[in-house]
Amino acid sequence: MSAPKPVTEADLHAYIDGFLDTEETLRIEQFLSENPDFAAMLADWQNDSAALRAAFADKAVSRPEDTSLVARAGKPIPNNRRRLPAIAASILLTFAAGALAGHFGPRLWTAPQIELSYSEILPQESKNAFLVYASEVRHPVEVFAAEETHLATWLGKRLAIDKLTVPDLKSLGFKLVGGRLLPVDGRAGAMFMYEDGTGQRITVLVGRNADNRNTSFRFASADKLETFYWIDNDLGYAVTGEISRDFLRRIAEECYRQFPS
Amino acid sequence: MLALLPALRRYSRSLTRSDTEGEDLLQDCVEKVLVNGAQWRGGSFKSWTYRIMTNLHLNSRRAQRRHPTVPIEIAETTAEPEMTADPLESRRLMAALDTIAPEFRTVLMLIVVEGHSYQEVAELLEIPLGTVMSRLSRARNSLREKLRQENVIQLRRPR
Repeated sequence: MSAPKPVTEADLHAYIDGFLDTEETLRIEQFLSENPDFAAMLADWQNDSAALRAAFADKAVSRPEDTSLVARAGKPIPNNRRRLPAIAASILLTFAAGALAGHFGPRLWTAPQIELSYSEILPQESKNAFLVYASEVRHPVEVFAAEETHLATWLGKRLAIDKLTVPDLKSLGFKLVGGRLLPVDGRAGAMFMYEDGTGQRITVLVGRNADNRNTSFRFASADKLETFYWIDNDLGYAVTGEISRDFLRRIAEECYRQFPS
Repeated sequence: MLALLPALRRYSRSLTRSDTEGEDLLQDCVEKVLVNGAQWRGGSFKSWTYRIMTNLHLNSRRAQRRHPTVPIEIAETTAEPEMTADPLESRRLMAALDTIAPEFRTVLMLIVVEGHSYQEVAELLEIPLGTVMSRLSRARNSLREKLRQENVIQLRRPR
């Protein structure tokens, strides 16, 4: 029998981590029985390793949003997350410009057409809301669909709409994710978010309209985003999504049908 | 990909300081994996996803070192009572982990928590086997050292 192989530190790690065969294991155990200091060190390492495994054991779980995480990855929308500061800045600018125009406009210029009209602001706000919120995986809305009644009452109250309807788009394959309160042209507005089976999202924006003018369906398109919008008396509506114009139009028409006139 | 998410979620959490940071890392990783799917050159797909997550994490830690920020949620992160039976113990463990440099922490987690072999880690991180062993050793020893220090409780009597 040849002289015993020297025990290296790598052997000790491999022993702890269970990468040694029976023969090697016996060799290390023999070594440890003769070297209590090393045995104590290994016992510590072993305890630490067990504590680490225990600490993270319950983290290896599936979550409900996993499907949409995978389905949505690689599409352009999630990338917008990285552009969030830019988008936030552009929203701020929009508001700042609106506020400044609203504040100084009447005094500086007698001609009020310098202000952006509501029908110009509405699709812009809808697009921004979509860009900011639709890419949120975990917090896309404030109130989730499970509390749909509360959502409708709450937002209805904030927008001073007697009976705010949350459109039902199931017939078109989109189910409600939820909604949130957000500023539209500087006033309280509502956003509803919907999602289809692949995690593709669309948003529906409702805002108070100061112009008080009716419009027919209008259409705006920027990058790959399509927006349909219309103004119905004192409320403005906009539907935004990264889907075909034809399909978005069907969604917009469905919303129009369901929103009270 | 979907089947890998639980393990990747555990790995992302074991590298970061909070659930929030972990989920962000996971999301970035999934994004990258699916966008770069065409660049996968055979071998274990799982290892490839681990490599992407490791690189994303190391890159972001490097960026953080250049532009240090204190995460808002850091105050809540140290207290995670659900992790082990003893909340104090788990807080101590997490605090000790956060002192280990990311290069060592990744190796420790890949081996101890994720169960990769030394050879797999060497291939995954594209470093020599000897470097894997020395990083593992550094990580184990500094974790132990940190925990030992933390274990000393000084009692003082008011005079």
